[in-house]
Amino acid sequence: MMNEVAWLHGYQFVAAMLFSIGLIGFLCRRNMIVMFLCAEMMLQGVSVSLVSWGRFHNDWDGQILTIFILAVAACEAGISLALVLMVFERCGKLDIAFWQHTREANQPEYVDEGLPEPEFEKPSWPKLTPAGIEPEIEEEEISYRSHV
Amino acid sequence: MNVDYGLYVIAAALLAVGVWLLLPPHSHRARVFGAVLGLAGLGMLAAQLPALNVWVDRNVFRVLAAVTIVSAVATITCRSPVYCAIWFALTLLASGALLFIQGAQFLGVATVAVYAGAILVTFLFVLMLAQPEGHAYYDRVTWEGNLAALAGAVLVGVLTMTMASVFTGVDAEALASELSTTSTTALALAEEDSAADAAVATDGETVLAQADDDAAAENPPPELDPRLQELRQGVLHGDHVARLGGQLFSRYLLAVEIAGTLLLVALVGAVAIVIHGRGSLRQQPAADPFAPGRPQP
Repeated sequence: MMNEVAWLHGYQFVAAMLFSIGLIGFLCRRNMIVMFLCAEMMLQGVSVSLVSWGRFHNDWDGQILTIFILAVAACEAGISLALVLMVFERCGKLDIAFWQHTREANQPEYVDEGLPEPEFEKPSWPKLTPAGIEPEIEEEEISYRSHV
Repeated sequence: MNVDYGLYVIAAALLAVGVWLLLPPHSHRARVFGAVLGLAGLGMLAAQLPALNVWVDRNVFRVLAAVTIVSAVATITCRSPVYCAIWFALTLLASGALLFIQGAQFLGVATVAVYAGAILVTFLFVLMLAQPEGHAYYDRVTWEGNLAALAGAVLVGVLTMTMASVFTGVDAEALASELSTTSTTALALAEEDSAADAAVATDGETVLAQADDDAAAENPPPELDPRLQELRQGVLHGDHVARLGGQLFSRYLLAVEIAGTLLLVALVGAVAIVIHGRGSLRQQPAADPFAPGRPQP
């Protein structure tokens, strides 16, 4: 019996971590698509929790509720991605802060301070080892293969 | 049994600082330091979990849980949204595997197929359509990353402490008897082919009662574990998908219909949003009403 409690405890821990990490990401990331990913992550945490409770109580309701969560998540993703696409067509960015003029009238404006410099990474091209042998070109061929 | 709450507070604080350092505006060195701190906090919390009986179960669970959580953190800390989506796919794969080893085979497969296969690929499509050139500035900054990490850590701390206090004080025998009564009533409610299964269930009951008597003297071998036998009649039944479908299309038929309607409504809504949005864009191309310099109301 204690083994079942250990299963439940472990799964609840994973679910709590998934939900909290999703919450952190939803609160602080500014890219709308990443925010939606974080919302999906919270849903996934709830699913893990529900399935482990369903096994603990030995009934199917946890799994069935999770199936409906999947359906609702699919609906939500479809609608939200259509909205994100339209928003992107209007302003050309996925920044959620761009839409802060829709806030309440008595809320202060959020001003970006100290935007970090873009990280320039040196492109590192692969170094190819020379392979094969350069073919010898005959003298008379050069006359009609000028670009070789 | 006493629970050391101070340890949970320290672990949650380590997690908060680690995640905060991992979030975008920080340098590479700070990120490495944050990863070390976060892993330390995670390890402290994971060490408090009770161990599973079977060696294979224990280690498979540990590996899958570690992959799930680490890739979830990578999802929220990556700069590039494409990498975020790919890390999230790994989170989904690992949590689908977690569902699978819990006995929820259909859900494990459905998570991989629907979430990782369909929803995530749609996200990637939209990213490809909507991603401006290069790394955008809004992927390199966050809103108040410290406060967000603090909120998440408080949530983790409270949840883990609650779980520890609830699950360590649990009385195993009382729980076993309570669970067996509830699950047998659920079983009796749910079974359509009651005659054969009820006979097996009562057999299971008698085996359970005998095993309880024997349990004090010696541990029953895993084949005769009454709890496992009970689960085999329930959620771990051999005909997993058949049982799940039977439940879904009998007790929850109305909900299935409503979910189907919801999917249809969402489909129509998504198409309507795109058509309507395109139309209004075409009517007023010059004056962008949502330009950043717009006077505030």
